[in-house]
Amino acid sequence: MSSYAFLTNTLVDKYGVQAQAIGPEATLTELGLDSLTLTELLFDLEDKFDVEIPEDRATFRTLGEAAALIDGLVRSKPSTG
Amino acid sequence: MARRVFLTGLGFVTPHGRDPEQVFERLYRGESAIRLTRTGTPEMGADHPLAAIDFEPGDLIPKIQALFQSRSAQMAVVAAHGALASAGIPREGDALRDAGVYVGTGVGGTEVIQEAYRVYYEKRSRRTKPSSVPMVMANAAASHISMTFGIRGPSQTYAIACSSSAVSIGEAFRAVRDGYLDIALAGGTEAILNDGSMIVWERVGALASLHPDGAEATSRPFDLGRRGFVLGEGSVMLVIESEERAAARGATPIAEIVGYGASSDAHNLLEPLADGQRLAMLGALRDAGIEREQVGYVNAHATGTPTGDAVEIEAIKEAFGEHAQSLAISSTKSMHGHLVGATGALECAITALALKQRRIPPTANLTDPDPACDLDCVPLVGREAPSLEVAISNSFAFGGSNATLVLKRA
Repeated sequence: MSSYAFLTNTLVDKYGVQAQAIGPEATLTELGLDSLTLTELLFDLEDKFDVEIPEDRATFRTLGEAAALIDGLVRSKPSTG
Repeated sequence: MARRVFLTGLGFVTPHGRDPEQVFERLYRGESAIRLTRTGTPEMGADHPLAAIDFEPGDLIPKIQALFQSRSAQMAVVAAHGALASAGIPREGDALRDAGVYVGTGVGGTEVIQEAYRVYYEKRSRRTKPSSVPMVMANAAASHISMTFGIRGPSQTYAIACSSSAVSIGEAFRAVRDGYLDIALAGGTEAILNDGSMIVWERVGALASLHPDGAEATSRPFDLGRRGFVLGEGSVMLVIESEERAAARGATPIAEIVGYGASSDAHNLLEPLADGQRLAMLGALRDAGIEREQVGYVNAHATGTPTGDAVEIEAIKEAFGEHAQSLAISSTKSMHGHLVGATGALECAITALALKQRRIPPTANLTDPDPACDLDCVPLVGREAPSLEVAISNSFAFGGSNATLVLKRA
């Protein structure tokens, strides 16, 4: 599953966000996520994609930016092959 | 400025259900909600007689909020919804802007602590959920009630084991009586029926093992065959209002709260002391300006432990003198179990309904009365009490912290 698809599914299924409010340009604040919820969401993402989001890079505003950050971290992960 | 204080709303999330009048009816009929219940994992879990609740908050708590509320906080929020509905107070708007919230609880989000420890010890990871701390903290339930209903007055939490919610109600009563608040939501919540909690409760030596006649027969206050108590869970919240506030909005009082007394045994962590309990009862009656002869019913703390029930009877005799022989005393824990931090609120509510309906719920399973508990403990069958005017509810905690509430028919 792509990081964007995972984000949207998690927001709808776990956090009860309305599906029609979600889009790549939607900001997490607009979706009603407070700081605690955002921290929990980052935790979900780290768990799912086995990455660690450095504190200084958790600066995204929109869902699209969050997905791009995760994709970048996944690409730069050392290969375990 | 002492003002009259009325109880105008009741919200229940209890082992007998959510409708206070129906719960009272089931208690009056002597129906137990105690069942043999499994807690924990298939490999390590255990069966206990428990008064557990099949609980889901449903639409009352939005999903995004429920995610960050422990079971005990969710139960409290749902009970608060029920209390406001019962009092006829709208949930939206600023009807509760000047209110206070007073919650009693023994521990807090116990299942959240358990999950954090599971991550560490079983998954061998330090990655616990970021929301763990605000979900574990004992005052979370009061905070969520305040946030849900826009309550801007004090939100207080009392963690006094089995007396927690008698104290929370008593303190809210004083705040309203003495003019600090006009209205408060007060009560208690507890959700400790998970295995991380049960393994420590099993070692206290206070829990009754399954009775040969089944789970429903296990909680037996005042009976010679009593072996300890049965844990329950749930939340009860009350709306407490000044006479003026209740009258201004045309509220119908369920009962009047007239007195509150608190004391300490200064004796032992687990062994109760009759003298400390006597001080709480007499303090509450003095606070109420009520003569002991006016009291008709005692909703006893009596949990079903061999020592505790006899000590409470001794304390009632010391506090009430000869009038003790005329009192009707019952322990409804025989049916709803011991809700620890929520038990005082549930029993205060039952006491209020007993006054309103002038009917006294029985002590279930009291088939073989202990000679050491030789007062009228209303065995097995509830009874009409056509002249009942005043009743007290006792709550006595581990640690020797005692609280008594005095209620009067409204």
